[in-house]
Amino acid sequence: MEKPNKKRSRTGEVKCPTGFTWANMKAESRAIWESNIKAWKLDLAYPISFVRQCLSPLIFLLPFLIYGLAVIGGRYSEHLEELVGTGDMVTFIFTGYIIMGFIGTAVWAMGFSIRREQWFGTLESLYVTPTSRLSLVLGMALHSTMHQSLGTAIEFAAIYLMFGITLQMQGVLPALVIFALMMLALYGFGILISALSLLLKEGWIISEGLHSIIMILSPVTYPLIVLPNIAQQLSKALPTAPALIGMRTFLIENYTPEVISNVFLHLLALDAAWILFGIFIFYLTDRYIRKRGTLGKY
Amino acid sequence: MKRMKIIGADLQQSSLRSNLLIVWSEIVKNLKFLLAYPVVFIFWAIFPIFWFIPFILQGLALVGGDTPWQSESFALIAGTPEFIPFVVLGAILNSFVLTSLYGMGESIRREAYRGTLDYILSSPCNKAFILIGKALSESISSTIFAISQLAICVLFFGIQLTLGIIIPVIFIIILLILGLYGMALILAAVSLKYKQAHDLAHTAEYVFGIFAPVRYPLASLPLWGQIIGKLLPLTYALIAVRSIMLLKNSLTALYLEILILLVIDAAVIFLGFYLFNWMEERTKKSGTISHF
Repeated sequence: MEKPNKKRSRTGEVKCPTGFTWANMKAESRAIWESNIKAWKLDLAYPISFVRQCLSPLIFLLPFLIYGLAVIGGRYSEHLEELVGTGDMVTFIFTGYIIMGFIGTAVWAMGFSIRREQWFGTLESLYVTPTSRLSLVLGMALHSTMHQSLGTAIEFAAIYLMFGITLQMQGVLPALVIFALMMLALYGFGILISALSLLLKEGWIISEGLHSIIMILSPVTYPLIVLPNIAQQLSKALPTAPALIGMRTFLIENYTPEVISNVFLHLLALDAAWILFGIFIFYLTDRYIRKRGTLGKY
Repeated sequence: MKRMKIIGADLQQSSLRSNLLIVWSEIVKNLKFLLAYPVVFIFWAIFPIFWFIPFILQGLALVGGDTPWQSESFALIAGTPEFIPFVVLGAILNSFVLTSLYGMGESIRREAYRGTLDYILSSPCNKAFILIGKALSESISSTIFAISQLAICVLFFGIQLTLGIIIPVIFIIILLILGLYGMALILAAVSLKYKQAHDLAHTAEYVFGIFAPVRYPLASLPLWGQIIGKLLPLTYALIAVRSIMLLKNSLTALYLEILILLVIDAAVIFLGFYLFNWMEERTKKSGTISHF
């Protein structure tokens, strides 16, 4: 008589892959992709909102450029040239502002991925699935990065047609590598904010507050050197400052970096720090929330 | 006959009292909501300042020289070389736009989320007084936020305030608020029918942000942009407040801007109430009040 196999699944039980196995990685990747597809379907269900969001990077950039033109009476600033080697205000601000939308990816889209599920009433259902909570957040990050890239492409085309900008084409590839490194650190930052929104519920204040502070501490529309010394030191902890300096070095002719450092090493260190810190806080919060039983609370 | 007249007068008086009670209750309710979330209160009182700091730093980086806070090019089109107070005043008045669009414009939608819109619209009171109550409570909170921002700006950004300036500025802000709430009423009316008020509020914010002289003078825009800007009540309020505070002009010198602001106010308030009543009737008939 055949011995009953203890390892065999019971009727109706679904065996899920776990741990760092190839099968589990594949399953989690599928969950990330499906989460991304779901977000796109929701986006496209509201076409007016979708178009508005695609145009918003351009709409937010224009006031900075018009203000700059009003203040210096043209697009070239002698003082900016003294500070960073290039006086072309339009190219300087444009190359800085293209990353602002991606900061939004971290602080808004990823930060609110879990909160959104709570609004939809699907958070508890998702929590009882064997999928990692992080896959949900990363799915939203993937969607938001793609969405933001579309908005940035529109922004680039419009600014190129309106003002004409000169970028060094040979610098595009290294700039993209720097951009990718910055995004990794921002994903870590986004995971941290999604943990905070789980804990604090009305996390929009945290997101809006951090977005504003990052905007000030990053050399988006001005060189880092105009900030007070303490703010310059704080900006080193954010991936946006080294990334912007690095990207401009490769993209803008004659650009002199205001802060000399190895951008790649700096960003790699920030990537590791923010991702590990974000995941650590996320798992701590996740456990705390489930113990307290406040997952479904508003 | 005399007795009938007395009863009629009593009814009128009690109707007025009831309507004032509606306005009062609406103000109390909204202020209770605001105070129930102290972090939100602190956020609106302080954080709008963070949104204009990048503009100040950008100006300093672009101008430079011995007086980096003054720009000759800016003076040619703005009438004043001081771009920092120009931006600060623009941002403070613009905060009234944000609170009116997102507060008042979405107030009806919020009632739908809370599940109270059906009860409000089916109550036997005049809806205009509910809207007046909402507008007044939003005005109170917006003014508290603006005062706190102004106090911070007086301390850190060199904005000068004297008693002689305050009264005409308050008068202009009241005119601005009236116009903005007329526009917010139009938004509230549209949200009754088309539900998604948030996108409309965002779009209106974009229009104000680009075409009103919040951060730069109207003359920096192309001609078509200046025409759009001249249709917005914020444009005239900003011109008037900056003329009083930065150029030290008197209120009488600004009679044209004030007259245009009054005309815009009257037009949008009339249109707002008309549209709201019309949309309310249509929504009630279609039975879609509580739809999301």
